[in-house]
Amino acid sequence: MAAVEVRDLRKRYGSFLALDGVSLTAQTGQLVTLLGPSGCGKSTTLRCLAGFLDPDGGSISIDGSDILGVPANRRGFGVVFQNYALFPHMTVAGNIGYGLKLQKRPKTEMAERIADAMRLVRLQGLEDRYPRQISGGQQQRVALARALVLRPRLLLLDEPLANLDARLRDEVRWLIRDVQQESGITAFYVTHDQSEAMAMSDMVAVMKEGRVAQFATPREIYQKPVERYVADFTGEANFLSCTRVAPVAGGYDIEVAGAHLRVAGVPGIRDRAELLLRPEALSIAPDTGQALFQGRVEKLAFLGASQHCEVRLPDGGALKLAVQANRPVGVGDQAGIRIDSEHAWLMPEVRQ
Amino acid sequence: MTRGARLRLLLALPAVALIFVFMVLPITNMVEMSFRTLGTTAPFGDSYTTGHYSRILSDGYYWQVLLRSLVTALLVTLLCLLVSYPIAWHMSKAHGFKAVMLYALIASPLMTGVLVRNFGWMIVTALNGPLNETLLGLGIIERPLRLLFTQGLVVLALVHVFVPFMVLPINNALRNIPPALVEASSSMGANRWQAFRDVILPLSFPGIYPGVILVFVLSIAAYVTPALLGGQMVSYMPTLIVAELNGTFRWPLGSALAIVLAVVTLICVAAFTLLTAKLMEKSRA
Repeated sequence: MAAVEVRDLRKRYGSFLALDGVSLTAQTGQLVTLLGPSGCGKSTTLRCLAGFLDPDGGSISIDGSDILGVPANRRGFGVVFQNYALFPHMTVAGNIGYGLKLQKRPKTEMAERIADAMRLVRLQGLEDRYPRQISGGQQQRVALARALVLRPRLLLLDEPLANLDARLRDEVRWLIRDVQQESGITAFYVTHDQSEAMAMSDMVAVMKEGRVAQFATPREIYQKPVERYVADFTGEANFLSCTRVAPVAGGYDIEVAGAHLRVAGVPGIRDRAELLLRPEALSIAPDTGQALFQGRVEKLAFLGASQHCEVRLPDGGALKLAVQANRPVGVGDQAGIRIDSEHAWLMPEVRQ
Repeated sequence: MTRGARLRLLLALPAVALIFVFMVLPITNMVEMSFRTLGTTAPFGDSYTTGHYSRILSDGYYWQVLLRSLVTALLVTLLCLLVSYPIAWHMSKAHGFKAVMLYALIASPLMTGVLVRNFGWMIVTALNGPLNETLLGLGIIERPLRLLFTQGLVVLALVHVFVPFMVLPINNALRNIPPALVEASSSMGANRWQAFRDVILPLSFPGIYPGVILVFVLSIAAYVTPALLGGQMVSYMPTLIVAELNGTFRWPLGSALAIVLAVVTLICVAAFTLLTAKLMEKSRA
């Protein structure tokens, strides 16, 4: 059981600022995802948490006590590595039991706990195999069992699914989430895959150039991003420049493409703003009178539950929208598009 | 036979011919020679005998020389391993210019000829050589140290020249160990010593094994260093063999000694391989 507070973490490699004041918290039992492209500092943050790296500044505390002075081998955290990092010269049981062996646990307790851990990740029967004799998905389960068998205060996962194929990724993803929730363990999860982050996390920290751009629930990150970078990184998005922005109670009155809308948005926007429209905030209008935009359907992809549609506007811009699967649309059709202003979100425009 | 198979055979031919002419033929000749009788007017006689082998096996002197050669080779191998491991460790962590410099330094003992190197040792360690002069001058010793023509100096000189053969394969093996393995072990509670003992050492065995074999085989067969630095008082198998072949001209006895040395060496290598087979199998992943 552990609540974690990371405050103002800084790390510099030569002229490269890897961490530029990272602050995060995790409540007991939460899974917090660090999401971002490579080089954003997510792995560096995790390595500081694990104790593999000393930050230049800032603090990390667990249940109120500072752990930065504690070496990695005394922190008692479980770590799952991207390439599994299994010991190739030890069997599956040997890998899982290594930490227990270091603690000099009695033989019977060791055997019991190894068996428990293997049952937890559904690996029974593979005790005596070596890592090279089992599949990638099984290796990842061994890595997970190995991290959990010591009943760590904190579980740290560094892109644990990156090397698995799509089907296995889904399976192991749910396994990780189940096990984490079942054992009520606090976890930090590093990934660059937004769908992974959305599906698994209690909280998501979207990272950008060594900083946390936004730290919120997956829903909030997706629906109410604080800036374009976050919106872009967390799913498909359309951005429209707004003219005339006026704050009103609970939102803003804006003018976009000649139409007046009332939308919610990031508090404190003064002048320049852009409107975020997720594909599901747009729809094809049944008659052109309700349409805000007119355009030509340029691309169409049938996805089963819906259709992904790209419409080219006369001014050259394009809009991506999700269309119901049973609605007849064809490439080349003229389509009127309307905005569902309930699902629109106003953000400050970033000056390039 | 397909064209591909014929081509492969053709390509293998030079290597096979080389091994046949420079290994199979001489060894066959040597074995044959070791069973010949001694001659009075020639280095060997006309008839055959197993007498040289029974003489070697029953004479304590030969056992003593063989034992000295074995102990020396083992000692050299062990010291090489102890000296080389930390060097290999540093090398495996080095990149760019530092790595190039380290490689050059490591290979430096091999860049001087065997005679020059050993005469160098003779000059440095002589009674009135620079080492003794310096120590005397500094007042550290009162009388010059007798270093030259001792077994200790032979071991030291062999360690010096064979260190590269140990460092390079171990360095390779260490480079192949992912750093995440050490981090993984430390996240499971291992301190630095435990991580070394349980992860790094076993996984570097694929480098230790060839290093040990190379250094052992090279040092048990070393001739020039024991001959020049070991002095006249003690014999090693190679110096004894050369003395029989070139000094007393008893070629059959010299050949028999050479065969004995080769067989003993082979047994040692085979025993080491068998004893470590399981570790090797596990650590090679």
